[in-house]
Amino acid sequence: MANKARRRQRCWRGLTALTASVLTVSVVAQGIVSGFRTDIDKFLGTTSTKIVTEGEADTSDIYTYTSDYSSTTELLDAIEDLGERMSEEGSVLLKNNGALPLSDEETKKVSLLGFSSYNPVQGGDMGSSLSVNMGTDADTVDFVAALAAKGFEINPTLQSLYDSLKDTFKTEVNMWGNIIEYTHIVAPSTTGVYSSKEPSQEMLDRADAGWKDSMDDYNVMIVTLARSSSENANYTPGTAGVDSEQNLNQTDPLGLSDDERNLIAAAVEAKKQNGGKVIVLLNNANAMEVDEIENNEGVDAILQIGLPGGYGFYGVADILSGEANPSGHLTDTYAVKNANSPAAQNYGDLQWTNPNPELSINDAIVEAEGIYTGYKYYETRYADLVLGQGNADSSAGSSTGNSWNYEDEVTYPFGYGLSYTTFEQTLDSLEVNLDSKTVTANVTVTNTGDVAGKDVVQLYVSLPYTQYDIENGIEKAAIQLLDYGKTSLLDPGASETVTITADAQYMASWDSTSENAAGTQGCYILDAGDYYFTVGNGAHEAVNNVLKAQDQAVEGNADKVKSWTLDKFDNSTFAITKNGTAVENQLEDMDLNYWIPDTVTYLTRNDWENTWPKTYKDLTATDEMLEILDNDTYEITANGDPSAITFGADNGLVLADLKGVSDLEDERWTLLLDQIELSECMIRTAFGGTSTKAIESIMSPEAIQNDGPNGFNSYPLGQYANTDTESGDPCAVSADDKNLEYKFGTMANATVIAQTFSKDLANEFGKICGNYSLWGNLTILWGAGINLHRVPYNARNHEYYSEDSILTAYQGASYIAGGKEYGCILAPKHLAFNDTEVNRTGVSVFMTEQKARETELRGTQACIEDAGALGIMTAYNRVGIYTDNSHYGLLHNILREEWGFKGLMTEDFIQDPTYAALKEAVHCGVTMTCNTGDNSLAAVNEKWAYWTEENVGQDAVLLQDLKNAMTWQNYALANSNAMDGLASNSKLVSVRTWYDNLITGLEIVFALLTICSIVMYVRAGKGKKKNA
Amino acid sequence: MTFIKKQSVGFYFSVIVLILTVAGLAMYLKNASTDYFSNLGKDPIILGCLIAAAVVEIIFIIVSQKGVKMWMDVFPVVISVLIMLGAVMFASSRVNGIASIMTFEKNAQTMADLSSAVTGIALCLAAGIASIIASFFDIIKEA
Repeated sequence: MANKARRRQRCWRGLTALTASVLTVSVVAQGIVSGFRTDIDKFLGTTSTKIVTEGEADTSDIYTYTSDYSSTTELLDAIEDLGERMSEEGSVLLKNNGALPLSDEETKKVSLLGFSSYNPVQGGDMGSSLSVNMGTDADTVDFVAALAAKGFEINPTLQSLYDSLKDTFKTEVNMWGNIIEYTHIVAPSTTGVYSSKEPSQEMLDRADAGWKDSMDDYNVMIVTLARSSSENANYTPGTAGVDSEQNLNQTDPLGLSDDERNLIAAAVEAKKQNGGKVIVLLNNANAMEVDEIENNEGVDAILQIGLPGGYGFYGVADILSGEANPSGHLTDTYAVKNANSPAAQNYGDLQWTNPNPELSINDAIVEAEGIYTGYKYYETRYADLVLGQGNADSSAGSSTGNSWNYEDEVTYPFGYGLSYTTFEQTLDSLEVNLDSKTVTANVTVTNTGDVAGKDVVQLYVSLPYTQYDIENGIEKAAIQLLDYGKTSLLDPGASETVTITADAQYMASWDSTSENAAGTQGCYILDAGDYYFTVGNGAHEAVNNVLKAQDQAVEGNADKVKSWTLDKFDNSTFAITKNGTAVENQLEDMDLNYWIPDTVTYLTRNDWENTWPKTYKDLTATDEMLEILDNDTYEITANGDPSAITFGADNGLVLADLKGVSDLEDERWTLLLDQIELSECMIRTAFGGTSTKAIESIMSPEAIQNDGPNGFNSYPLGQYANTDTESGDPCAVSADDKNLEYKFGTMANATVIAQTFSKDLANEFGKICGNYSLWGNLTILWGAGINLHRVPYNARNHEYYSEDSILTAYQGASYIAGGKEYGCILAPKHLAFNDTEVNRTGVSVFMTEQKARETELRGTQACIEDAGALGIMTAYNRVGIYTDNSHYGLLHNILREEWGFKGLMTEDFIQDPTYAALKEAVHCGVTMTCNTGDNSLAAVNEKWAYWTEENVGQDAVLLQDLKNAMTWQNYALANSNAMDGLASNSKLVSVRTWYDNLITGLEIVFALLTICSIVMYVRAGKGKKKNA
Repeated sequence: MTFIKKQSVGFYFSVIVLILTVAGLAMYLKNASTDYFSNLGKDPIILGCLIAAAVVEIIFIIVSQKGVKMWMDVFPVVISVLIMLGAVMFASSRVNGIASIMTFEKNAQTMADLSSAVTGIALCLAAGIASIIASFFDIIKEA
């Protein structure tokens, strides 16, 4: 009996342990849920706050922005239509001996070769990934499905063959025990190598011995070659970047393998028998080495299609059939050997000799090529070769080992592209007006062919390279894009005059030695001399036109050149920005020579041979540098008069009172932000998370943040959509709307958008995003990828537009302006210099200020100055040795002061509090980090112990920085659709979600059960004593 | 009675709990020293819970050899609660980092750092489950 009682006791003891443990977990979970509430809501599709408008409210004008569409069906139809047109205009015809377009009969006789024809790359492996949609009004399609929809017929034998080999195409990626399988080619990881998945000829023969014969009836042979792209991935230059075990004679991951060569050869061989055509599709965003395909006389046509997204293959099919006339142009130089560019000499995992992983001190990349990336290198060196100057003919950098020769180095130049028709462009007039700071060009474009088509006008300028430049270390590209435009659809014989009004400031060069209006050094200058303006099908044709006008013996057209002479050196016209700020040096510390004198020799066109970049590796950070590399560069001190900065005032305003108020000088901004509590400022800057959280003191709403450059691919349309159709929201949806599961990660990638050279299409994409943001209640999109393609090896190039800063700037600006019309904050990313994924968190990027301002920063400037972007994201990398988020010169002096940026600024997804450098970031104008946590200073202090009211409250400078951060953040929100539905008497109230109720229920139930178990344990114990 | 013959199922489970708790603690300390997670430091709550659980478990096993004492019955409950608290706090402190690694910062090094976090959390949870099971049994056999 006593034993029985003891057994009962043990049982109740065990149950007590069980219920008490569950109670413990649920109590702790309550706290955890509060910290991750926004992410949990996102994942589960719940909402924890709602807007309640009390009392009598005039709701007639609380929705500021209106969609162009009356239903999600119309919205999705528009997305699909734009996706098709983007690829129609963004695919680039590189070679065509008359093979394209196909006749109607030929579209029924297509053989698709290459596994990428059946498993194409339509988005990034990570970042701008394709959202596959089924069962919506805009289901996505791959190449095969798009061809079928357009009435093509493909070789069933080959389709079956490749389908039978599908398992061999799979790449398994182990994600924490979850095996994810990709059947398209993938990009190598930052520590991996490229492995080809293309089947060999032997494998194809084994799978079906008759596959070649099947092409007799399907003799239009389309071979698709692909290279994928991805965030957090990398192509290592040369053979080191290729899987050595494959032995495929592949000299570069972006070059061809023997299996790819043999596939093309098989098609060319089959053509001799079947009398058909061989067309190669390049399915890539990273510039591949394709010289051997261009030179292969058996290949009849080459079409570069980028990463077409969910609907772009409709556009590709339209091009193949002639339904659309291609009008795209390359946004990158396609080099014969990518590894021979000067930029490639300093790329990869180049570690400090004294790294410190705890402080994210890892790599140091010295961008010793200066401004000479992409076509600015190839075309400038070519020009110097023609002009017989600068030792351009040396073998330094030559891919053959012989004297450098343009034809040996470049397959396709920047800006190059063909059409099914021909065009003639005449530069009718050109006017440079330094008073209005414009360059106005009128270009008449005539369709001289037989097919209607659109043409791109690329306006280039050649700047004088003077003795002053040589003496002061200023570099000038022989040719650079100044602006561009695109015609409408021109019928054969029709003409159109395109007027381009270019911003003359982009002709200016940065001179770090020049006097300036600020009384210091550093200014934009215009050298005295002759400026040549021209148009052309790409940068090489343009530079040839200029050289011809300079009486050089080249194949160019001097008639397409207009010159303008500046008599006197000018360092005043662009000494003051549009914002009225005097410019001066801000980025001197990005030059490694600043810290370690005479370390770096930068490439100069004055001497290509002796300044050809060496690889700067095994660098050692000095003690002085380490003091900054430790990420602690701002000291919180007692300074100024903290009491002069007001917090917690009761001025009776809410953010809705400032809806649409774009004048930051309006006194109501001060009155409103005086209401905010210091603790709110400190929490909101620290925990920006993946949405801007509500601020109760000023009724600032939560605004959801999204990724990425190919559309809103973070959440489905219905996640945050308003399903209350009685609310008066014009974009409210029915709860059973079939499109609520649609995910808008479907646009073609950024290079395709840029290859259109169409500001209109970029703008249209922005407008569609703006419309989508209204339907989805998704205000912020980290959307315009404005980093430059420094080298083709950065696997994340697919999210960025181009190697050229002007094309990047204007495609980005056009896109951002489009979204802004609908209150959507389309934000450029990243500011700045994020041009490698290798050790991207912590890599020190060194360059001259001229390079910084004229390349990457110029690619962002128009997004701010012209488009008025209201959001921006900073970068993972360092700017020199400072974390990006702690570089005052970049984030405050250039971005806020020179360019006049007034919006919200987020860090990238940096979770390490030390590297996030909160106090430094706030001081530099960052308005939020990407960290999340409980809405309390205690939670913040767990990550940043110094971020207390007591400590921060003594520092008047930092207090003002916090007020500024919240002002900019809320200014952006007030001028966005985040305010739609909010009136002055609206309140944000908390809503208990089902998981809140579940946790509370568990707490109550298990608390009761624990008590019961204890009681029963005690009773069992008394029973045992009785029986003893 | 020999030592082994005297022991009940609860002894073996308790030893498993002790081993798993110590292993989880060791993995936590290892993970807290990795490049990626070192900035988070060592949480005194997590350390305190796991160390206290191990100590109490040892005391419980030793004192139980002298026979069942009613006042010691609270020990298994305390051990379970401490371990579960430590495990949940451990998981909570790593969620952000795990999400970041899996989405943006995945490479060989961060995956290796992540694996020790996952292993440690799994060990702690296993220890918690084992301790709950152990609490249904006595350490020594009834006389």
